[in-house]
Amino acid sequence: MSVSGLRMSYGERQVLRGVDLDMRRGETVALLGPNGAGKTTTIEILQGLRRRTAGEVRVLDEDPARGGDAWRARLGTVLQNCHDHPRWQVGTLLAHVAAHYPDPWETGELLEALGLGGRANSRVRDLSGGQRRRLDVALGMVGRPEVLFLDEPTTGFDPEARKEFHELVETLDMTILLTTHDLAEAERLADRVAVLVRGRIEVFGTSRELAAAVQAPCLVRWRDGAEQTDDPSELAWKLHQKYDGPVPDLEIRRPTLEESYLNLVERSAA
Amino acid sequence: MNTLALGIRRGLIEQGSILRDGKELGANVAGLVIYLMLILWIGGNPAGGGIGMTAFITVGFIAFTVFSAGITTLPMLIAADQEEGALRRLRTLPRGLPVYLTGRATSLVAHIALNSVLILAIGNLAGGLALPSSLYGWATLTWVLLLGTLAVVPVGAMIGALLPSAKTAAAVVSLPTMLLMIASGVMVPMTMMPEPVRWFAQVFPLYWQGHGLRAAFLPSAAAEPGGVWQLGTAAAVMGAWAVAGMVLAPRLLRRAIRT
Repeated sequence: MSVSGLRMSYGERQVLRGVDLDMRRGETVALLGPNGAGKTTTIEILQGLRRRTAGEVRVLDEDPARGGDAWRARLGTVLQNCHDHPRWQVGTLLAHVAAHYPDPWETGELLEALGLGGRANSRVRDLSGGQRRRLDVALGMVGRPEVLFLDEPTTGFDPEARKEFHELVETLDMTILLTTHDLAEAERLADRVAVLVRGRIEVFGTSRELAAAVQAPCLVRWRDGAEQTDDPSELAWKLHQKYDGPVPDLEIRRPTLEESYLNLVERSAA
Repeated sequence: MNTLALGIRRGLIEQGSILRDGKELGANVAGLVIYLMLILWIGGNPAGGGIGMTAFITVGFIAFTVFSAGITTLPMLIAADQEEGALRRLRTLPRGLPVYLTGRATSLVAHIALNSVLILAIGNLAGGLALPSSLYGWATLTWVLLLGTLAVVPVGAMIGALLPSAKTAAAVVSLPTMLLMIASGVMVPMTMMPEPVRWFAQVFPLYWQGHGLRAAFLPSAAAEPGGVWQLGTAAAVMGAWAVAGMVLAPRLLRRAIRT
């Protein structure tokens, strides 16, 4: 999958201002960014559900704007916030969605694998929140997709359900693009993280590279003062010389990745 | 499985799931019970022009079944599909939209066919309703039902695509539907209506649906406003609604569904 110079405007409003992104087969990439950064728009363009204003986009060697049903059959989507088909039975819904694809999973096995084996005859609306989410994953992958899109998959989850969902995603063996505004989620699930802020990819790399690239200044505090610096070691050395010995109440605080990320978001917004 | 077969199967599963739903089934059965009580209590009375109330009520119920399925039920279901995310999901599936539209049409036709058959059966068994005796009568019944359905389905689909939620859909369509039902001679014989109301009602397909159905069931047109059957006009008005709707609806639907 490759994206270069992707732009999208709704009338006067520019939502994407030149997005570059590439993904290797089998890799999990997180598209991380604050609300309104353009994450969902990007995914919808990649799925061929929205026409872009400008830029080059290839997904599975095809331009999504021209992708037909055969191309679409190689993609899977786990939607955010869906309560669809409430009256249908779980097994019936999964079999119906499977029938859209040329070579789907055996639905009974898939339900079993996702821990829904006993609920095939339940109505969808009778599932618990976590079970509903697992069904969404089953619906997204029943067609044996080569690429799976997860759009803010854990929004509105309690911590327990979130953990369960993360464990489930980690077992999936396919190319995955997920959007999230939760840094911890991106770090946990993704091989590489792309930070999308105000319609542009600000950083793209492993979470270690991300930490290095977005590093916010460290805070150095001591009895007589405090200072923000990118080189705390240097400052500590100077203080050491100034006090001619141990610095009283010296404290060096490195920013967490979370703080660095927020710092990046604020900097880009300014 | 090919797209048409998959869509039809989707429609049948959908209709089955609605019938298994206690609330939906209850509302449907309640309508049939009201019909049964009406023909038992006042079915024997004359409706004017030499026809009995049973035939008049039966035609009114069938016409209204078609009309409300297209104008009320369909928009509510489409709005619910948008709200709950079924449409979003189908857009991401290969062949999702054609399967969805075929499915909706199938479930609607199944709903109308099932209720029409039940109304005719109850009317015949409990109220002694005379079914059409000739092939011509059955043919009239069939084409009027089909064309009446085609006339209201695109309109209902457009309403459903435009409204944000099922609740809004119910609120927006229920009052105009009620007024049209009263004005169109399906509850009160048309000859009892003032002249301007008659003209107003004749613009809409519901009146012509009822008129066409009466032509299938009744021996004489004595109770009709003009005193004669106007099946050509009925076909023209319902056909015009169907064609206009089918030209406009796909564009509007595509726009509503894509964004």
